[in-house]
Amino acid sequence: MTASLLVDIVVGGLITGGIYALVALGLNLQYGLMRVLNVAHGEFLMVGAYLTYSLHTGWGVNPLLTLLITGPASFGTGLVLHRLLYARLLAGGEAPEALESRSLLLSFGLLFVLQNAALLLWSADLRGYSYLAVPLRFLGAVFPANRIVAATVALAVSLAFYVFLRRSLTGKAIRALMQDPEGAQLAGVNLSRLHGLAFGVGIAMSAVTGSLISMLFELTPFIGLPYTVTALVVVILGGLGNVLGSLLAGLILGLVETAGIYLAASDIRLIASYAVLSLILILKPSGLFAR
Amino acid sequence: MNMERRAFLKTTAGGAVAVTLLRGKARAQARPVRIGYTLSATGPYSVGAGITQGPNYLLWQEQVNARGGLLVKGEGRRPIEFISIDDRSEHETAVRFYEKLATDDKVDLLLPPWGTAMNFAVAPVANKYGYPLLGPTAVSNKLKELSLPYFYSLLAQPDPIMEAFVGLLKDLKAQGKISKIGLAYVNDLFGIELYNSAAPHLKQAGFDVVDTKSYPLGVKDVSPILKGFKAAGADVFLGLTYPPDNILATAQAKEVDWNPAVWLTCVGTAFPFYRDRFKGAEGVMGIAGWNPKVKFAGAREYFDAHVKKHQKEPDRWASAFAYASLQILERCVGEAGLDRKKIKEMLDRTEFQTVAGPIKFVKGMNVSTPGMVGQWQKGEFDILWPKSWATGTPVVPKPAWA
Repeated sequence: MTASLLVDIVVGGLITGGIYALVALGLNLQYGLMRVLNVAHGEFLMVGAYLTYSLHTGWGVNPLLTLLITGPASFGTGLVLHRLLYARLLAGGEAPEALESRSLLLSFGLLFVLQNAALLLWSADLRGYSYLAVPLRFLGAVFPANRIVAATVALAVSLAFYVFLRRSLTGKAIRALMQDPEGAQLAGVNLSRLHGLAFGVGIAMSAVTGSLISMLFELTPFIGLPYTVTALVVVILGGLGNVLGSLLAGLILGLVETAGIYLAASDIRLIASYAVLSLILILKPSGLFAR
Repeated sequence: MNMERRAFLKTTAGGAVAVTLLRGKARAQARPVRIGYTLSATGPYSVGAGITQGPNYLLWQEQVNARGGLLVKGEGRRPIEFISIDDRSEHETAVRFYEKLATDDKVDLLLPPWGTAMNFAVAPVANKYGYPLLGPTAVSNKLKELSLPYFYSLLAQPDPIMEAFVGLLKDLKAQGKISKIGLAYVNDLFGIELYNSAAPHLKQAGFDVVDTKSYPLGVKDVSPILKGFKAAGADVFLGLTYPPDNILATAQAKEVDWNPAVWLTCVGTAFPFYRDRFKGAEGVMGIAGWNPKVKFAGAREYFDAHVKKHQKEPDRWASAFAYASLQILERCVGEAGLDRKKIKEMLDRTEFQTVAGPIKFVKGMNVSTPGMVGQWQKGEFDILWPKSWATGTPVVPKPAWA
């Protein structure tokens, strides 16, 4: 293996993995905290991507600056959705199993609503734009500048969120809720407020990932679901509710896939990711980084 | 189905008085010719369906109805009514609805859905009930093997397309403009068929294929493939692609700083979207078949009417064939009526003149249109090969990426 091939694999893997990590983090936050499996997670990514596309091509806004719009806007949307849809469900006080299946149905509904709304607004035509589509050279290898930027931003957002969870009081409350909902509530943690917050942040992360992805790929209203699937793989890999685990698992999955592509063939991407998933489910079903 | 309901509501809403008043008028206005089809309005096929097929169906319906309706032999003109359904890009849904259109709705004619796999799925249904189906977006060597007498295919199939590709490349090689090929194909039925057609032709022409790589449908990164080809010194990129991977590869070629002398890809290249997305895509080659410069009657008028109705240009490959299939149907109904056996007889023996040139079916395959290669040159997708169909000459090496 030559040095430049190694650089190709490592950097390429981190680029892919950074994006996986961010999209999975949002899903994991929602699931870990509320036991709500949001199947429409990828659809929020799609909507974020379209927002950036429209802002960039319609008003000439720099795609990176649109994060400041898609992030807060989707956070707000998440809060509203939580209040309108999930809060009632969670307040029902049902058994966790019933809650999971109902929230699953709810998010399937969201998925169809969002897809069809996007279809009406943007049609099924492919949409895309060029941003930073220039080669960056380093250590004898060539990388697209836009992918480097997207991955750097994705990783920075993920790390910032991790630090927020570790350091801030709200972050600590969220972690407490994840570990022991009853105990946390006894200690005065406001469950429904934090649920809303987590739901909003999860959706904002998905939408922000979408904004980044719109710099790289063409958009249709149907790009979301594959990301939901990848995010699920990452979440399972890293452990349900384990934020740092998601982050690391995303990077690992990216590296494995990229190594597979370079060393074997492009067709191996899905095989590689599902092989890793199967292995983990067999050897360590609670996730790679479960405590 | 919705349309039916709407039509029903319209005719009943007026109430009894209106019905009596309108009866005279209704008699004068002929019964509509009901034509059924499914097209993917949602799901992954909706992109292609919305570019190549849907707009042409609607354009034709509007034009024919503006002329007073579809001329049916012995009955005069009757308005066209579409019964259109979203098949959600699901084969089994499409099959179910074609069964329903044929047996329950008992439509007069059927139009095909979009895409090779969809046509494969519904062609046996149409065949079973004796509906001629003229597919403008089905490309597969295996269509011949289906031996479905009621299925007709308008596009050139993989073999002739690859013959044209290699014909042009051979010509360029003889001029010393290219020598080494990097070949990538999408790993599904379509890509594999194209690859199996291309490989022997390339070998026969004595080409040095430095590397061959496949990639899965929905691939997110082809830069490793492109970097490999670049390192191996390829000066031709031959991509047997679908639209999303085509656009990804084109974008990434610039990003990894590779500009081979010939950039030749398949589905998607002829979309006006592709040209606009890559700032003119100057010098990019792909599967061709039509542009408004071809010398066939009605070609320019078709282009203008399409732009006027839909505010977007037709694509430069299959769109015109979708429209041509409707022209063919129109002529058949005009001369043979709505008896589908007679329509089939006419399809089998007639050479039709369309906006896409002459079309003659032999065993359901259009034998008049050869495989063609085109190149974006100053905003138009000029046909380069075969020379007898050419509207322009090759620009090789292609200019730098815009």
